Amino acid sequence: MLTKLTGGTIYDPANGIAGQQHDIYIQDGRIVNPPTADQAIDQEYNLQGKVVMSGAIDMHTHIGGGKGNIARMLMPEDHRADPVARTHICRSGCGHAMPSTFITGYRYAEMGYTSCFEPAILPINARQAHMEMADIPIIDKGGYVMLGSDDYLLRMLTAKKDQQAINDYVAWTIQAAKAIGVKVVNPGGINAFKFNQRKLDLDEQNNHYGVTPREILHVLATAVKAIGVSHPLHVHGCNLGVPGNMHTTLDTIQGMAGLPMHLTHIQFHSYGTEGDFKFSSGAAQIAEAINKNKNITIDVGQVLFGQTVTASGDNMRQHANHKHANPNKWVTMDIECDAGCGVVPFKYKDQNFVNALQWAIGLETFLLVDDPWRIFLTTDHPNGAPFTSYPHLIRLLMDKSFRNDMLATLHPEAQKMTTLASIDREYSLNEIAIMTRAGAAKLIGLKDRGGLSAGNWADITVYTEHSNRELMFTKPDYVFKDGTLVVLNGSVVATPWGTTHTIKPNYDASVEKELQSYFDRYLTMKLGNFKMSDDEITEDGRGHITVHPLAGDVA
Amino acid sequence: MSALTFTLTIQPNQRVDMSPLVCQALQQRELSEIAAMPLHCGKKTLRVDELFTISGSDSSHIIIKNSFNKLDFIGKNLAGGRITVEGDVGAYLGLGMLAGSISVVGNTGLYAGAEMKKGYLEINGNTGDFLGGALPGNKIGMKGGLILVKGDAGARVGDHLRRGMILIEGNTGDYCGSRMIAGTIAVMGTTGQHVGYAMRRGTLLLWNTPHISASFNDCGTHTLAFLPIIFKAFATLNSRFAESSTAFNRVQRYAGDMAEMGRGEILVKH
Repeated sequence: MLTKLTGGTIYDPANGIAGQQHDIYIQDGRIVNPPTADQAIDQEYNLQGKVVMSGAIDMHTHIGGGKGNIARMLMPEDHRADPVARTHICRSGCGHAMPSTFITGYRYAEMGYTSCFEPAILPINARQAHMEMADIPIIDKGGYVMLGSDDYLLRMLTAKKDQQAINDYVAWTIQAAKAIGVKVVNPGGINAFKFNQRKLDLDEQNNHYGVTPREILHVLATAVKAIGVSHPLHVHGCNLGVPGNMHTTLDTIQGMAGLPMHLTHIQFHSYGTEGDFKFSSGAAQIAEAINKNKNITIDVGQVLFGQTVTASGDNMRQHANHKHANPNKWVTMDIECDAGCGVVPFKYKDQNFVNALQWAIGLETFLLVDDPWRIFLTTDHPNGAPFTSYPHLIRLLMDKSFRNDMLATLHPEAQKMTTLASIDREYSLNEIAIMTRAGAAKLIGLKDRGGLSAGNWADITVYTEHSNRELMFTKPDYVFKDGTLVVLNGSVVATPWGTTHTIKPNYDASVEKELQSYFDRYLTMKLGNFKMSDDEITEDGRGHITVHPLAGDVA
Repeated sequence: MSALTFTLTIQPNQRVDMSPLVCQALQQRELSEIAAMPLHCGKKTLRVDELFTISGSDSSHIIIKNSFNKLDFIGKNLAGGRITVEGDVGAYLGLGMLAGSISVVGNTGLYAGAEMKKGYLEINGNTGDFLGGALPGNKIGMKGGLILVKGDAGARVGDHLRRGMILIEGNTGDYCGSRMIAGTIAVMGTTGQHVGYAMRRGTLLLWNTPHISASFNDCGTHTLAFLPIIFKAFATLNSRFAESSTAFNRVQRYAGDMAEMGRGEILVKH
């Protein structure tokens, strides 16, 4: 079947197209070259005056894994307030801060998103995370496997194993957990928490293993590069949320010595200690460092006001934050030899000085980082705000007067502490398309997504131009997923199943010899069960796996 | 004007969500409009007139006749007016009610008066567990108003009670006043095990000596001046609590739960 999208205004930064009008042809799920004159068009959509982008990609959103289920159990009142009835094609569920799996898929698609990446898959929970994501319809899924606080790696570092051995372990873990990248959360800190440390600076040693976060970051970033993972090491740094942590962040950037690194939800890591409340914005210095260091990419983790729930592997920081829990209930837990987990409900308030300044710091970061190819639009769903607030965030970035009107309503002391009002920059549609499409696909290493040239999968979103960008991005006219029309006028009309994006880096098979004895001695799961097989994702007939080329491979 | 009366004509096999039929939602509606309103019954959606015959016109007083124990959520978020139920009701009677009054002739199910904010709830029969409690996972139960039960209550009376008063003429199940934050529960009959379990503040006023947990301290007998005042406040109720012979001011006092904040009290008639 040949489908023609006629006359839309195309924003396709992957191919350098910014606002030109041309037609797009779709056949067998992919975008194809214009057909010869004698080929019949089966279906045509007239997109005159409409804005056309590829499907959006959320490169950091907590949509799978144990902490999501803990958050759901912890906040039944949040679900009761947003029940979703079934329709003739959609299943029932509930929404808001941590929506049910099906509603996650529907709501992402309804905003024009077609791929989402879970940033914290614990190796030992990978099966559960993939099974949960297998229940998210329409969108593509993928994940970054979490390392850095696992006892096995820390033992290797204590034993001074060589980098090659660590590379093999990292590559083996990526394959075992069916991941597409590697994340590190509070490097070594989650482990240090178990040895009664309540904070861990970049150069502070783990009481038990004697390893510092800096060493962990360095070996993992080196490993990720060496085994050819396209996505740079995905780093949730030390001291999240601590006033003054901007220095840790700057130090982390310097310490990488040019190795590629992605700093995630950097808003939470950009705090100074100036002012009457000893809490200030470090966004300007952080943005300057990012502009200067081309090896660094970031996503923001914007805070938006309202009820949400923070779910993180960083049990050390979540334990410290529990006194802010609202409603007052929280969970921190250990996850055997692998990492930890902390879930704390949060209500960000515009009349709270700290929350208001967090909001401003996030926006400052967006506006002061020059290169949209190296910054990504996230709220660290659900930690800064639920993903359903993205259209609102886009309006804040694209509309200066709206942004300043919002700013004027915030806590007055917070307004004094931010330079936001003096920043004139407004994001263009093309820059939004880079941040949420082309840039994200390039960063993760998706070979045939995020662009609209022939050969790409036809993930396409069509919006009606509107001066209110929030309205525009809330309700796309059409969303195509792999060439199938899935959303019409902001409502789901079809529910196909997306693929799971992975990579398969090589490793020396002998890595399993030592792992075998470690598993037998310490873990509750056998090595053979720990490794996921492709069948577990595909055997139900609806999931499938896409293996992307490694960096350096010929695509 | 006569009360707006819903008379149940069939007893469906599945439970019915009655929350749309509250006074504030039916104001200025024609009977034909009300008859066409949707009610969820199991997985089906039924029209009101598929279950009830409707008569009368005064939406500030709703009467539900022939009620039985599968009618849930009667008077949910009631914001004023009066609901009278003739027969039994299901769960969540008066959930989160804001004002007005509800009176039930028969028995009620779980979570009657749960999370109510204000108003008056009268149950002439028995009631189930979590009377005036908090929904699962929620941290605050009933926040104000008065609940009167003439029969017996189930377990967990006043779970997470925050404010307001629960008066029970009959007996209660286990964990009466569990996790109370504040407020008052008075029980004329007997109470089960673990009275006041994990209560922080608030008062349990009992006619019969309960089994006192180890985490409550005996503070001796006291003559408390506020008791006559509180009994005087009951005088207008249609209840044994209103009889002058009921009042007393001499009590044995136990403070607890010491495993929690420990500022609550169990007062037992001496």
